[in-house]
Amino acid sequence: MKVRQRWDRWDAIGAAAVFVVFDEPELLRRTMFDGVEVADLPFEVAVDQERGAYRAWGLRRARHRDIWLDPNVYRTYWRLLRAGDRLRPGGADLLQLGGDFVVDPGGSIAYARPQHRDDRPAVGELLAAAKRSRGPGER
Amino acid sequence: MTTTPPAPGDTAPPLDLPTLRGGRVALRDLRGRPVLVSFLRHAG
Repeated sequence: MKVRQRWDRWDAIGAAAVFVVFDEPELLRRTMFDGVEVADLPFEVAVDQERGAYRAWGLRRARHRDIWLDPNVYRTYWRLLRAGDRLRPGGADLLQLGGDFVVDPGGSIAYARPQHRDDRPAVGELLAAAKRSRGPGER
Repeated sequence: MTTTPPAPGDTAPPLDLPTLRGGRVALRDLRGRPVLVSFLRHAG
């Protein structure tokens, strides 16, 4: 998670971050944080297993071909297998897409990038949006 | 009905969810600072 690796820059501008996930918490602990304990993460990880927030924020589902032609899917499975995990029938929704938003200090959207495939903005782009959202007097 | 994602200038939709730490996080409680809200895909 690249934001965590550059957390000092988020902290320096006084920004908060909330990562929203819909997987089972135990799967997240195994796959997401590179062994870092949840209690030591500098941001919140919110769990939305029913995906009500995904719907409220208008996030789409991908087409099957977008998923199965995506090399990141195979990298993730390879990483899990190397870690001793087993492939198993999931039930997880592989088609659910995510998105990145920056909310300004007043509660309005300052930046929006809903995913269309496996596209995610660079951390620097998100940081720049967060800085701009503070207004001209605080950059 | 399909909801469209919020665009710059729109009021952010509500967000109030349980966290992995066992608490809750609500966007309204983070007012006064910029907040990155990042929705992730399936992790594995």
